[in-house]
Amino acid sequence: MLRRFRLEEPASVREVSELLGRFGESAKLYAGGTELLLAMKEGLVQYERLINVKTVQGLNEIQSSDGIIRIGALCTHHQLENSPVLRQSLPVFVKLEENVANVRVRQVGTIGGNLCFAEPHADPGTLLIALGAKLVAEKTDSRREIPAEAFFVGAYETCLEPDEVLTEIQVPLPATRSGIAYLKFGYLERPSVGVAVAFSRNGGDSIGDIKIAVGCAGPAPKRVVEAEEALKGKTMEEATQRLAQAGQVAGRAADAISDLHGSQEYKEHIVGVLLKRAFQKAVSQG
Amino acid sequence: MRFEKEVDIRAPKEKVWNFIWDVDRFIACVPGCKEAKTLEAGKRYAALMTEKVGPFRVEFPITIEVLERDEMSRIKAQASGADNKIGSRMKIDLDVSLREEGDKTKLSFVAGVDILGKLAALGHGIIKRKADQVLDDFAQAVKRQLEGDA
Repeated sequence: MLRRFRLEEPASVREVSELLGRFGESAKLYAGGTELLLAMKEGLVQYERLINVKTVQGLNEIQSSDGIIRIGALCTHHQLENSPVLRQSLPVFVKLEENVANVRVRQVGTIGGNLCFAEPHADPGTLLIALGAKLVAEKTDSRREIPAEAFFVGAYETCLEPDEVLTEIQVPLPATRSGIAYLKFGYLERPSVGVAVAFSRNGGDSIGDIKIAVGCAGPAPKRVVEAEEALKGKTMEEATQRLAQAGQVAGRAADAISDLHGSQEYKEHIVGVLLKRAFQKAVSQG
Repeated sequence: MRFEKEVDIRAPKEKVWNFIWDVDRFIACVPGCKEAKTLEAGKRYAALMTEKVGPFRVEFPITIEVLERDEMSRIKAQASGADNKIGSRMKIDLDVSLREEGDKTKLSFVAGVDILGKLAALGHGIIKRKADQVLDDFAQAVKRQLEGDA
């Protein structure tokens, strides 16, 4: 049962940050509530106050300018899957969002809430790491940009300071002829393993920059530089031959843990399979 | 969940043994553990264990019962407690042994940890990793305490 709490309704990010600073751990930000309210109903967490960030204007817009796609942290998954800007510039993200949880969650759950709750079995963080996204955190008197790969520090833990608010996700517009794919596998409601690949092509037919990220396998999504090294600078043919090796490396580097979704060994194997398929998909779409 | 840890301490066995029974200093080495009380010297103790995974906090008032004690070499104990706020229980079977190796003492401990109730919903893997980290920090803290004042 949900216990009684006070609902604060600030009008600005500054106010939100002030409230967080004033009430500390007895208060929590509330956006879509799809994760938070469930945990509260279960009695796993208790807060005296919820700070409703939905009352802050201007945090639910999606724009593309100066080579950067800017996504407001309060955008719902539903908004993201239907955004003309994303459909045009980042269809891979639209595809991911179309498959987040279920229609009820997508209708109210927000991208910012998803990232800040840092539930290990979630999709967006993994792809955002591979895309080289930056997350904008603001508080009363400062603002900083955090690379997505540095944002997650563990299960349910991010690097946000107690009075910081995630306000925007900035994704660099992918270069033309870049290959991007995100694939996940799972048999429960949440994904068991997710793998994202994003690469640019050099002048010829070789891979330029490449980022590979693995999610859900371990406590937090992470970039697997070791697997990137195996493919970077290689021609498509060479890279294709090295996929099995890169997959093994990614599996080992994924920091996989055994849980209800599968054993560590199983997840490491699936990382390899998904990396191979995601790379092939990225090549075919690039 | 079963954990096994070993730590080499540059200190004589007697000093390590005495440290273990110095409840306040010993408990100070267990991350998140506080308010240690001796209920019956050498037999029963009480403490408050707090731990945190992201927004999830637990607070277990635990009692520790010493089951077996072989002077200077081994202690078997059991700790158990419940967090009624979130409806979870914890039980730890602890087997601690000391072995002298040259000028060092090898402190080994085997812990069998059972966590029941809603806390288990966080997932076995995450809890295991957290517990592993707690035990590592504990081993290092004991080492620092004993070697620091050698």
